[in-house]
Amino acid sequence: MTISRRVFVKSGGLALFSLGLDPLFLARAAFAVRPSAGPSDRRMLVCLFQRGAVDGLNMIVPHGDPIYYQERPRIAVPEKDVLDLDGYFGLHPRLAALRPLWDAKNLAAIHAIGSPDATRSHFDAQDYMESGTPGVKATPDGWLNRYCQHDREHQDTAFRAVAFGPQLPRILAGTAPSLAIDDLQAFGLRAPQPAARDRLTRAFEELYAGSATGLLSTSSREAFDAVQMLKRLDPGQYRPANGADYPRGRLGKALLEIAQLIKADVGLQVAFADVTGWDTHVNQGATEGQLAGRLSEMGEALAAFTRDVGERMRDVVVLTMSEFGRTVRENGSSGTDHGHATAMLVLGGPVNGGRVLGKWPGLDPAQRFEGRDVAVTTDFRDLFAELLARHLGAGDLSAIFPGFTPDPSRFPGAISA
Amino acid sequence: MRQYNRMKTLIVGSLLAAGLLPVRIGAQQATLTPQDSALHALNRLAYGPRPGDVPRVAAEGVMRWIDHQLAPDKIDDDRLAERERRFDILKYDRGDLAALYTEAQRERRERKLAAGHSADGSDSVGAQHAAPLPKQADPTIQKSNRLASEFADLAVVRAALSERQLYEVIVDFWTNQFNVYAAKGADRFLTPDYIEHTIRPRAMGKFEDLLIATAKSPAMLFYLDNWESVAPGSVPPTGLRVRARPIFGRRPGLFGPVRDPARQDSVRRRALERMPNGVNENYARELLELHTLGVDGGYTQHDVIDVARIFTGWSIERPQRGGDFEFHDWAHDRGEKLVLGVWFEGGHDMDEGIRLLKVLANHPATMHHVSRKLCQRFVNDDPPDGCVDDAVAAWKRSSGDMREVLRAIFHGPDFWAAGNVRAKVKTPLEFVVSATRALAAEPDTSPCLAQVVARLGEPLFLHVAPDGYPEQEAAWVNSGALLDRMNAAVALASGKLPGVTVVLDSIVPVGDADQLIGAVNEKILGGTMSENTKQVLRRELASIGDPVQARALAVGLALGGPEFQRQ
Repeated sequence: MTISRRVFVKSGGLALFSLGLDPLFLARAAFAVRPSAGPSDRRMLVCLFQRGAVDGLNMIVPHGDPIYYQERPRIAVPEKDVLDLDGYFGLHPRLAALRPLWDAKNLAAIHAIGSPDATRSHFDAQDYMESGTPGVKATPDGWLNRYCQHDREHQDTAFRAVAFGPQLPRILAGTAPSLAIDDLQAFGLRAPQPAARDRLTRAFEELYAGSATGLLSTSSREAFDAVQMLKRLDPGQYRPANGADYPRGRLGKALLEIAQLIKADVGLQVAFADVTGWDTHVNQGATEGQLAGRLSEMGEALAAFTRDVGERMRDVVVLTMSEFGRTVRENGSSGTDHGHATAMLVLGGPVNGGRVLGKWPGLDPAQRFEGRDVAVTTDFRDLFAELLARHLGAGDLSAIFPGFTPDPSRFPGAISA
Repeated sequence: MRQYNRMKTLIVGSLLAAGLLPVRIGAQQATLTPQDSALHALNRLAYGPRPGDVPRVAAEGVMRWIDHQLAPDKIDDDRLAERERRFDILKYDRGDLAALYTEAQRERRERKLAAGHSADGSDSVGAQHAAPLPKQADPTIQKSNRLASEFADLAVVRAALSERQLYEVIVDFWTNQFNVYAAKGADRFLTPDYIEHTIRPRAMGKFEDLLIATAKSPAMLFYLDNWESVAPGSVPPTGLRVRARPIFGRRPGLFGPVRDPARQDSVRRRALERMPNGVNENYARELLELHTLGVDGGYTQHDVIDVARIFTGWSIERPQRGGDFEFHDWAHDRGEKLVLGVWFEGGHDMDEGIRLLKVLANHPATMHHVSRKLCQRFVNDDPPDGCVDDAVAAWKRSSGDMREVLRAIFHGPDFWAAGNVRAKVKTPLEFVVSATRALAAEPDTSPCLAQVVARLGEPLFLHVAPDGYPEQEAAWVNSGALLDRMNAAVALASGKLPGVTVVLDSIVPVGDADQLIGAVNEKILGGTMSENTKQVLRRELASIGDPVQARALAVGLALGGPEFQRQ
């Protein structure tokens, strides 16, 4: 424990100052454990997909288990560097920016979570995690979209479901309207004068309304609805609040734009962004290195986001997910190969934070999946279903996760009761 | 039945080749006029028609044109060859590029150091693309950046200008099938060589040859980490240990001799820590899942491990210098292996890898998986079983000769079925190149068009994951992407894309609204303009006095409108 205290003072405490996290927000957020104050349609879910399969064991480190150190002589995060969370698990030191959220009980981790399907294919596993139907490839839509289809209490606005990036991800594919925005500032037609822009917008809108079929038709309709709403925003003028400083790069930009839409009251309910670079087959590093760099960017982006969103974090839950974890044992090139279970993070006001949730299976070879990977003890659908039910207030979970019977007794307990 | 269909196809095909029949094949009994079938073929086998292409191909006979496209070596392509000579990137070999990039890398690191930043030269799959240049960039850095973007533009220029259109389409197909990520470490300088000398010469040959060439290519060995995969416990000969240093890592002695003995120790330790000491599964898994059998091809985790063992020792000679393939017998696992029920007895070297690649290249699951992907590209995102079966049959007949597989697809009834005509949405590359071709626009060597393709979501050679860019419309059609396409269309039509010269006079002469609409419909949309589009154009054009502006608007709306997104 002395170690963790020292590390906290060194990293966590420092982070509090250097990142300038608003202690007021932390205090408020700590109290606002239940988002019951506001109407339920103000609650929001932000999903962050770590594409490439993050090494859960180096993100939320089981430093209390000697097998972790035996199996990873070159890439284990040394005990002295781990930011201890509960005496057994600890944060990767480069996630120090998230430590204050943990201390304020606004951050929880779920370990040994994953898919009941055994695939080690990135693409199949991502597909299953986004369709919400592990093992079934024919599912046409994603579970976030099905949530929007079935939850009719919330109004469909153009911005109800938004993915940030050049492509609309599988998780939001489906019949409910959903936007893909690569750059909020550039979203819309460009012309030197407003009149010319309006003319172009109207002309294209009518071309697509009258002649487009299939996906071209629905996507264009959603685009023009959003363009209409954005006219009263001025995305170029946005400045993050509370001195929030997002890291450069795609992820920081996506989270900044999500914060902007949250604060603009455009009806955002689910947002999605993804971040790559987790497929660390070679030289993954330990305290420093490749994975550390990715974690650092993610931690700082999330910390900036919570700071920027400020008080409204009482209505927001951020979920990180990844298609699977990585081998317990390091491979021949100081990296890790495709594994099974990983760890996910949930953070925000409604989160039952300050704890590592899920049933830890241990790292003993006899406990591992196929003798090599962390076993899955929490089906990812149990976590997703809990967030939809207890945070967004979804009623019909079986329609959102077909072929799966959600059972609240299996929910990991990520949302405060 | 299939046999009968094929015979019918052959007969009809020869009549078509002679230009005697409209295309009338398939269950739907769709009737395509010679013009329609020419347009369809130009949309799928080519990057869309240039002005005059449709009547020219219709007059030649569409099947005859297809046969010519299947023999690219016999197609004269002097104009492209002349244009290619302006691309400096083609004058550099792998080694030259490696030296240049390493020098630029060193320059960057020194600048960072000078600017007080840490010199973390780490480089990975996840590394972001090169940071923006400082204002007064070093000439070496400038040159290496220019060459990197030039290569993406070369791909766009070839697609736009080559007479060997089908060849360029199939090169793009293989580039994605055997994807590498050009921003990962040594792949910055290995990728151009990979495309030029591994993919392009084999794009219309035997699948087996292409597969073996990619397996041995430094770009793929580096991208999927196989170059570091060694048998557990293997020890490199002493001479090689020096070489096995990390690329771009903090290398001992890079900034002069290391004198501090403690530091020297830690440097040595770090170097040793980074020495490969076991198997890496990355390439083995993607070889089975993506390159050959497909994810449902019936392999197991055990197969993946034994494939990885078979490829231990397949490495690169001095990757940091752009070196060639090298087999390290000291790193090879000489034990026995079992893959897909095929026994590989112990004591073998590189030969067992070649044997495995031949097994994989001719495996029924591979034929089906790759044929299906070809049909997705050429026929429909969700291709009918019939055309896949035809392609597989041709594969078997010809031992995987890609020309014969393609020929079978183009001669099959599904390719011409009405339900599959205009059934596919263009990818960003196809959209940008087809728009360029439709206007007979002249791209220069500036990386402008490649940047537009990148902005629309498809930065060439920069797809991080090994699956390559997707072919399905769901991946490309979304709200933001459509708005981006509309903006690109308007910019191109009004001549505002730098690096591209557009002269509309010979294609769409200025005129009144009806003349403009008629010309745009015929020359740019191949006669597919809907009534609604005509009405909208008529109304918009009515309020514009300046005839040049009116023309630009009509062309921009047509290129950005729904008809032009399909092929």
